[in-house]
Amino acid sequence: MRSLEPWVEAPLSTFLAESGARITLLMTSSGQVVAQHGFTHSLDVMSAAALGAGIMAATAELSRVMGSRPLDAVVHQGSALGIHLAGFDTPRGRWLGLVVFGKETSLGLVQLFFGRMAHDLGRAAPVEPPSRPVLAENFEQELNSSLRSLFGR
Amino acid sequence: MRFADLLAELTRIPGVRGALLVSREDGLVVADALMESVDGKAVAALAASLTGRMNGVTAALGHPEPVSWQLRGSDGMLLAAPAREGLLVVAVAAAEANAGELRLRLLSVAGRAA
Amino acid sequence: MTVDDIQALTAQLARDPSSLVFLPLAEALRRRGQLEAALAIAASGAGRYPEMAGAYDLLARIQSDRGEGDLAFDAWTTVLRLDPDHVGAHKGLAFLSFRAGDFARSLRYLRRAVELRPRDESLRGALSRVEDAAGVRPVPGFERGAPDPLRALEAEVGLALLVDPQGRLLAGSVHDSGGKPASEQVGAVLAGISREAERTTRLLGLGPWRELSLEGGPAHFELRTPTSDSVLLVTRPREIPAGRLALLADRAASAARRWLEELR
Repeated sequence: MRSLEPWVEAPLSTFLAESGARITLLMTSSGQVVAQHGFTHSLDVMSAAALGAGIMAATAELSRVMGSRPLDAVVHQGSALGIHLAGFDTPRGRWLGLVVFGKETSLGLVQLFFGRMAHDLGRAAPVEPPSRPVLAENFEQELNSSLRSLFGR
Repeated sequence: MRFADLLAELTRIPGVRGALLVSREDGLVVADALMESVDGKAVAALAASLTGRMNGVTAALGHPEPVSWQLRGSDGMLLAAPAREGLLVVAVAAAEANAGELRLRLLSVAGRAA
Repeated sequence: MTVDDIQALTAQLARDPSSLVFLPLAEALRRRGQLEAALAIAASGAGRYPEMAGAYDLLARIQSDRGEGDLAFDAWTTVLRLDPDHVGAHKGLAFLSFRAGDFARSLRYLRRAVELRPRDESLRGALSRVEDAAGVRPVPGFERGAPDPLRALEAEVGLALLVDPQGRLLAGSVHDSGGKPASEQVGAVLAGISREAERTTRLLGLGPWRELSLEGGPAHFELRTPTSDSVLLVTRPREIPAGRLALLADRAASAARRWLEELR
């Protein structure tokens, strides 16, 4: 497990231990990665984050078109793996969680402990630090620094 | 028979705090009749998971799947019986509930669910 | 000893009630099966010589022959209080313990007797037989093998299993429906069930888990946690009433708990 924010580690660790999830990705609703577990390539992390955020955005739009409130979660169930994608509110804004799980656990357990993780993250989040302006020349540096943190390099 | 009526047969027994029909594979609630203090989602997920583990014991011994199981803690108990169509009938009860009566009723409901 | 010899000793004792002749006389009567007479003489002698270990040893043997296990136990315990290295008392207590199904205790006494008399082949033979009957097996981290606490409770093997939190076997065994040993496979699953049961009762507010009953097709199962770091499975054919199986499981859990505490 790797995280950009230390306060995310404990709730995420608990979730991983209890749910039996194989892969987990936590990100902001715009696709910025906060923490991950189970990925081996940085490119996969970025792709999954972008796709996950895109799916949730598309689902939200679909809900709007159908006159319904936005859906909280999306589940894709295959014969061997399942994907659970859900949004939740934190003091740092709307986040998304993408979880991939196998037959050794169940959707019920994943959802149960995902909900608890979301609650724990809400309680663990420190007060938001003052935001710094993001400059173009810093962006590349910050992205690379984030990737190094997420992969322990 | 409607699920609500089946579950009511269980919740009528003194000491029963909740009854659910659960999807065994997903651990999700199909139908429930719960007192406020009972977290249906948690009961469903955990009961389905425990049922899977129990099947591991009987499978290791070359036996068929269990007909029912009861887990007793110091403050309450959880009972479950597999039903057809991948369902599980689950009941949560206080420690002093009549486990014998509850088990018989659970098996009866499991035989008629789905 | 002939009848004449016994009569001579009896006459001697009658002339001098404080004579030590009560020892060979009571022993002779015991060997002839005249236990009531033997008891009266031995009890009187032990009363006169309360610090004589031999007198209580004789008394214990007579009481044991009479089927008075509790009294024999008390008498041999008195012997050891007077003479901690009395081999006869260690043997006697080992025998009583074995008969009561307390194999661990029996082995302790017998091993001490063998230490005191290392060249006694009959003692070594007895120790070996008790170890066999007790299902002694090596236990990691301990020099000596330990008897199986579940043997005393099981009419036949293959009906109870005790494992540690990692699913490693501690005692007992189970067989599958084909009669093949299945202890390791079941042990591995039991550890997972125990963790799952603990999590379930904790998250649902049911209190620490105590019992898990499984109603199978051909057999029923009961799970217990004799200690915080062990799991016990007891099984019987479904013809055995559920309440009886639960009692058997409780008894096995108590035996397992005592055994684990002694090991530590």
